[in-house]
Amino acid sequence: MKKYICPICGYVYDETKEGVKFDDLPDDWKCPLCGAPKKLFKAEAIEVIVSEDMEEETLREMNYAEISALCSSLARGCEKQYLEEESKLFTKLANYYKNKSKIKESVSFEELISKIDKDLEINYQQARNIASEKEDRGALRVITWGEKVTMILKSLLSQYKDDKEFIKNTKVYVCDICGFIYIGDEKPEICPVCKVPSFKLFEIERGA
Amino acid sequence: MNKIRAVRNLRICSKDCLCLYVCPTGATDTETGQIDFSKCIGCGACSKACPSGAISMVPYQYPKQQLKDELVIAKLNKLIQSKAEQEQMAEHIYNSSNNNIEKQLAKAFIRANRLMSEDLYRESGFMLPQSKNTKDFLESLLEQANEEILKKDIEKLIKLLDFNE
Repeated sequence: MKKYICPICGYVYDETKEGVKFDDLPDDWKCPLCGAPKKLFKAEAIEVIVSEDMEEETLREMNYAEISALCSSLARGCEKQYLEEESKLFTKLANYYKNKSKIKESVSFEELISKIDKDLEINYQQARNIASEKEDRGALRVITWGEKVTMILKSLLSQYKDDKEFIKNTKVYVCDICGFIYIGDEKPEICPVCKVPSFKLFEIERGA
Repeated sequence: MNKIRAVRNLRICSKDCLCLYVCPTGATDTETGQIDFSKCIGCGACSKACPSGAISMVPYQYPKQQLKDELVIAKLNKLIQSKAEQEQMAEHIYNSSNNNIEKQLAKAFIRANRLMSEDLYRESGFMLPQSKNTKDFLESLLEQANEEILKKDIEKLIKLLDFNE
């Protein structure tokens, strides 16, 4: 008998308690807490193989999309300190640079999936190794949240590939703190990733 | 001026109005519901009297930005680069699609990736808008800016922010 753990919210499926083998659960079984699909679950105590590819990185110039993200991040930083005017100005800059950043010519879902895979297989692992080595708690925190959110993005894309209408009869929410995407009729009481209360989860409406 | 000031969390405030009763300057009595920061002397009386815990005292000046290891920053930057690209990809899918379900999903991806980049920046040396990192960043933007309105906004920000290092 084994235990299977949800990589998103940490929910534990204990075969002994449930009396049903994890493998015997239907394929469309989902995490009862956060809705993560069955295939994301991992058996307990499986060692993660970490890539050894550790090439040196040099700091490069930021592009417009990144400048925009830094500006919107600082806008939120100002908001937290109730610095309204500063926050508005940073938001204005964020929008300015977002419009300046060039939109891709064409994009396929496959390209998006391969970017996500690279994040999950290499970028997060490397970042985690360095952050642990340097004992940077803040960095480890953002890596943990981001990795979980990225896993959900991957699973949503693969569900979308199998069934283009999988979200047709339900709703889409995004956690305004960590970026977790929740698919379901009612939002969870707290975000399964960062544990912020539900009022920070916002619905993404479907256009006409 | 005192080094701290009161702020009210409007989501928690249950309008018990004891802050009004104890405030020596009338700073808690406003039309917006927020404290009038220009009147607040930072005495903390409102925060202590509030039965719903909706008022907290926050500093005007925060401690300096913690030093971050260069290699950690480099790795987080790599993730930011990837998230920013994914945001743009999702943006492209959103703009070029006619399918409202696909658009809805793309919109969620745009938002999620932006939120992840923002969070990564906070942990790579930009937690505080008052830090030297932010100042250097704004100054480099100013140097590159070639539109007058943009320049003005950046200059205004540099002037407004109370840089702490």
